[in-house]
Amino acid sequence: MRYSDALIDHFRAPRNVGMMRSPDGVGESQDPTCGDLARFYLRVTDGRVVEARFQTYGCGPSIAASSLVTELVRDRPVEDLGELTPGAVERALGGLPADRRHAATLVIEALRAAAAHYRQTYTPEVSRV
Amino acid sequence: MRRVYLDHNASTPVHPEVLQAMLPYFGELYGNPSSIHGFGREARDAVELAREEIAGFLGVAKEEFVFTSGGTESDNLAIKGVAYARGAGHVISSPVEHHAVLRTCQTLERQGYAVTYVPVDGQGRVDPDDVRRAVRPDTVLITIMYANSEVGTIMPIAEIGRIAAEHGIPFHVDGVQAFGKIPFSVRDCGISLLSCSSHKIYGPKGLGGLYIRKGTKMVSIQHGGDHERRRRAGTENVPAIVGFARAVALRARDMQEEALRVRRLRDRLWEGVEAKAPDVRLNGHPVHRLPGTVNMSFRGIEAESLILALDLKGIGASAGSACTSGSLEPSYVLTAMGVPPEWALGALRCSLGRSTSEEDIDYVLEVLPAAADRLRALSPATVA
Repeated sequence: MRYSDALIDHFRAPRNVGMMRSPDGVGESQDPTCGDLARFYLRVTDGRVVEARFQTYGCGPSIAASSLVTELVRDRPVEDLGELTPGAVERALGGLPADRRHAATLVIEALRAAAAHYRQTYTPEVSRV
Repeated sequence: MRRVYLDHNASTPVHPEVLQAMLPYFGELYGNPSSIHGFGREARDAVELAREEIAGFLGVAKEEFVFTSGGTESDNLAIKGVAYARGAGHVISSPVEHHAVLRTCQTLERQGYAVTYVPVDGQGRVDPDDVRRAVRPDTVLITIMYANSEVGTIMPIAEIGRIAAEHGIPFHVDGVQAFGKIPFSVRDCGISLLSCSSHKIYGPKGLGGLYIRKGTKMVSIQHGGDHERRRRAGTENVPAIVGFARAVALRARDMQEEALRVRRLRDRLWEGVEAKAPDVRLNGHPVHRLPGTVNMSFRGIEAESLILALDLKGIGASAGSACTSGSLEPSYVLTAMGVPPEWALGALRCSLGRSTSEEDIDYVLEVLPAAADRLRALSPATVA
């Protein structure tokens, strides 16, 4: 098997799958070469991610990376999400073959888009009500 | 866990009788067929007996059959051999050929030859009239595959052969996927050169052959000793040659019956998938298709993830030709057939063979539609 046990585990039983109603942030990214598409939804309370969900069209690694990231971001401050890199995702997946590295980049870009969307739409007055 | 192999177009397991036939040639019968002593003569006799067996199956003279290292070398030898003998000119091919043909044609283009790739229709077939229209006064070769490895579509080879014959143009056919699977006559089809491979028909890997019709002008592309009537230098792979011949003998015996059985299983697989899975389409020709091949597209799913899901359940299938399954582009074959990318990216090839059983198909029908449903449920609505 060219994929790690960790990757296979996330592919076989992906965590936090599906759309989220009225998310605090939503963002997606598409790989222009292979057409893979990942979308992340964030639920944020007091500036921290309390729930993340995903929908992904792509290869096994893209699906596994999406699942992994929904776990990695939980309880993290949204402001820190930018620190999460494709390299960190790849390491957490036990490495990726060279022709599948796009998976880590794809999910990080989608996550960043979701965080950016949260920052754009976040209004402290409303969220404190 | 049950294991089901549905990738016979990539390679096949060596038939037990083939293995038995080969074994002595790894052991006590180790001579070099070019040696004139007794050890060499034993090996030579085995090679010539094998050549006779395969030539007989093809209905050609044994001197017209050359052993090579496989389908890729046969394609290279045929195309370069004929083109280089003329020094310049024009070649006609198609965009759905195996890379062994396509990249050889591209190499010729870089060397100053012209190549016309006649299009294929939505089912993957070349229109013989397009071939006729593509013929130029300087056309030196027509090279079209017998059957496509990805979708199994069978080309109108006899019609193209007639056009080649009318114009006196050598006609090369990459027969790797058709040889030993469906009956055809190289003479009736007007084929001047036919590439074939051993490991697609339960013979060993590393061996193939090229039929070269007597009188076809060509040069060799691998230089060395005087082997194979100076058409292909290199000591003959004696055990593999013996194995190839045995594999051919077994195909001669079993091919017709096997084709019927495998076609029925293949159709049951497709009908089962079509009934159980939404948003699925069949790629390739509904009738003119290899008996064991079914290529189906699942919209909204990327084939790689489907193959992985099947692999985790012990099922080996592929996303197209094995050479391209590592890349992320949609299949060039499906693209040339006009299959839209959102379908082409979800194409799964199942190729059945000798070992495929009813129970295998039952199991695949349990696993595959469920795996497709699960992956589709992960997919963002915009593409699903």
